[in-house]
Amino acid sequence: MSTAPQEEISAGRGEPLVVLDGVNKWFGDLHVLQDINLTVNRGEVVVVIGPSGSGKSTLCRAINRLETIDRGTITLDGKPLPQEGKELANLRAEVGMVFQSFNLFAHKTIRENVTLGPIKVRKVAKATAEAKAAELLDRVGIGHQADKYPAQLSGGQQQRVAIARALAMEPKVMLFDEPTSALDPEMIKEVLDVMVDLAEQGMTMVVVTHEMGFARTAADRVLFMADGAVVEENTPEEFFTNPQSERAKDFLGKILKH
Amino acid sequence: MRTMKLRAAAATVLLTALSGTLAACGDAGSEGEGVDVQAEEVEDGKFEEGSRMAELAEAGSITIGVKYDQPGLGFKSATDDIPTGFDVEIAKLLVADLGIDPSDTSAVTYEETISDNREPYLEAGRVDLVLASYSITEDRRKVVGQTGPYFITGQQILVAADSDVESIDDLVGETVCSVSGSTSLQNAEDAGAIGAPADTYSQCAEDVLNGTVEAMTTDGSILLGLAAQNEGELKVVGPEFSEERIGVGYSQDYPEMCEWINGVLTEAYEDGSWAEAFEATLGGDDVETPEPPALDECPAA
Amino acid sequence: MNVVLDNAGDIALAFIYTLSLFVVAGVLSLIFGALLAAARVGPVAVLRKAAAVYVTLIRNTPLLIVIIFFRFAGPKIGLTFSFVDIRVADIRLNNLYAACAVGLVVYTSSFVCEALRSGINAVPLGQAEAARAIGLPFGGVMSQVIMPQAMRHALPPLASVQIALLKNTTVCGALGVFEAFARMRGLTNDFASARTEIFLAFALIFVVLVEVLSFVAYRLERRWRIV
Repeated sequence: MSTAPQEEISAGRGEPLVVLDGVNKWFGDLHVLQDINLTVNRGEVVVVIGPSGSGKSTLCRAINRLETIDRGTITLDGKPLPQEGKELANLRAEVGMVFQSFNLFAHKTIRENVTLGPIKVRKVAKATAEAKAAELLDRVGIGHQADKYPAQLSGGQQQRVAIARALAMEPKVMLFDEPTSALDPEMIKEVLDVMVDLAEQGMTMVVVTHEMGFARTAADRVLFMADGAVVEENTPEEFFTNPQSERAKDFLGKILKH
Repeated sequence: MRTMKLRAAAATVLLTALSGTLAACGDAGSEGEGVDVQAEEVEDGKFEEGSRMAELAEAGSITIGVKYDQPGLGFKSATDDIPTGFDVEIAKLLVADLGIDPSDTSAVTYEETISDNREPYLEAGRVDLVLASYSITEDRRKVVGQTGPYFITGQQILVAADSDVESIDDLVGETVCSVSGSTSLQNAEDAGAIGAPADTYSQCAEDVLNGTVEAMTTDGSILLGLAAQNEGELKVVGPEFSEERIGVGYSQDYPEMCEWINGVLTEAYEDGSWAEAFEATLGGDDVETPEPPALDECPAA
Repeated sequence: MNVVLDNAGDIALAFIYTLSLFVVAGVLSLIFGALLAAARVGPVAVLRKAAAVYVTLIRNTPLLIVIIFFRFAGPKIGLTFSFVDIRVADIRLNNLYAACAVGLVVYTSSFVCEALRSGINAVPLGQAEAARAIGLPFGGVMSQVIMPQAMRHALPPLASVQIALLKNTTVCGALGVFEAFARMRGLTNDFASARTEIFLAFALIFVVLVEVLSFVAYRLERRWRIV
């Protein structure tokens, strides 16, 4: 199904960090994930694109078990994903997640949003967590709004806080589930800038997005999904200039026309 | 709407069943059918023209407020047509004096009056007389007429058979049950006990049996009834530590009733029907029939 | 009004019992109700079922029967609460008080549970997902993220439940606790001539107490409103 052997593309990168092997999932009769095999290496940025309903969000959410899978295995840093319980919680702490709809804790201030995980999960001292939060918020450009509540910020600002919240846990890998899809066009760039920054610093990232510009500049690899299956997997350069499958050509033709 | 009615009905059935269980042990008062009192012939001019008594005799019907839940004084079980007890026996004497047959339930209505609605029922004319273990007090005389007393009783204590309690003085700081709102409960509190209000006397007895409260207190006559029902488990102790003067209540609209009531009572004292009523209800083999109490003077008209 | 003033001490004591029943049962029912609600939305199937059965059973049973169970059926199976005996000045919290309070807690908790559950359902799913995603275990997700927000949504129904509880304490007046209702019955019996004043005074105090409660709920609602 893929056009190039994985090893070739991933060559020279770190060891495998996230490995999906024969992953299948059904929603009733709907086969939403079909035999997905994917290896994300340390420091790698994988962008997942595809038409809506292709299963790309489900794939992303399966990696930290917000969606369960019916068959196959997912391992993180060599360890299989645990079932429910404390171990799963510990694993999730290692995986940062950024949602399409931000999902900032509505009743907590920006600062509290960023410090909650470190304090409650990592048991970091409050002062340490707050210092770290201030640093992260500065990095995403929200430093002066730490005392506000999420609803007082714009969508773009909220999404940047969500990124800071995930980073505060010092995750091994960051998952982005359509992080800019709910944003007004003028706010998309501020979020993408932060993500590009992150990629340049070597963060391992799996990004589900429709932002082809981001895929071109930041991705090491592009995964094209349709109907629950990975149809094509390639470098961005190859994928965008020379798509192999009809589905990919069709998809790119539609979105690049505008 | 329909479901609401159904639900209300179901709740009523449930509650009735429940109170039935609680009251089931309160059946002692219904032993014996009471005294068969015959209606008297009322001659013309017996009652002054225009008086309430004349009206009642003329109408041939009367409504009496009695208790339904006090064995010995006024008690009505589900199967009784007419309540039984000393209060009811005295009421029968009054009814008979008006020429009405006390056992004719189409002429005499024995309406249940709980403590709180005795005065309102009299004031509203819903009952003509109240004989419902009705203590005579100054405050009540402000709103209704009261005369008598036809009986003097005192408060005693009911405890578990194996209890060391001998009088109210042994119950300072202990929990003592009586019916919510009753004078007995207030008296127990005044004596230093912790009052535990209950809905019924049988509920209090249940608590004493369970050991949830130390004791219960109310009129000795009621306690004797409860002790008799739970022979070997409960006992009545202590001297009477209050005095309740049980009288007849009437409406202040008809002050002429006072002399009439006193007259009937005096007659009952003299002809032995008072003693007969006592023996048929509160009395027993080992209970001595007391002297009838002296009656209060009626207020000057 | 004299009767009311002359007996102000007794009336105050009665309302202390009423309020203490309300506070004790109120706080405990909030805690127990929150645990029930957590069980109902939690991951453990057995607890979910058990909590649902509890709510169905208790919520459909009249309060009087629930309390009577603890007052009269309890002692028969050895549940007497005789270990409870707290004395503070004239206040005496004894076994009867405890049985009534437990009855109120058991009953009110089922309503608190349902009020909170409606509040939990009003919290967007994404909040729980985000909390899970940062590694909070179920307890942390509930206590840190879901419950605080659910409380806000559930505040109006919770206030109604608690107001009902305040008034429901009067049931205890016939079951061994000398609270306001029992005191009122005592006074109306002793002072037949002043019955209307006594009724009005007690009704007025209840109205004031409920108004205070409503006001507190309203203030909380304003303060907690998500900005």
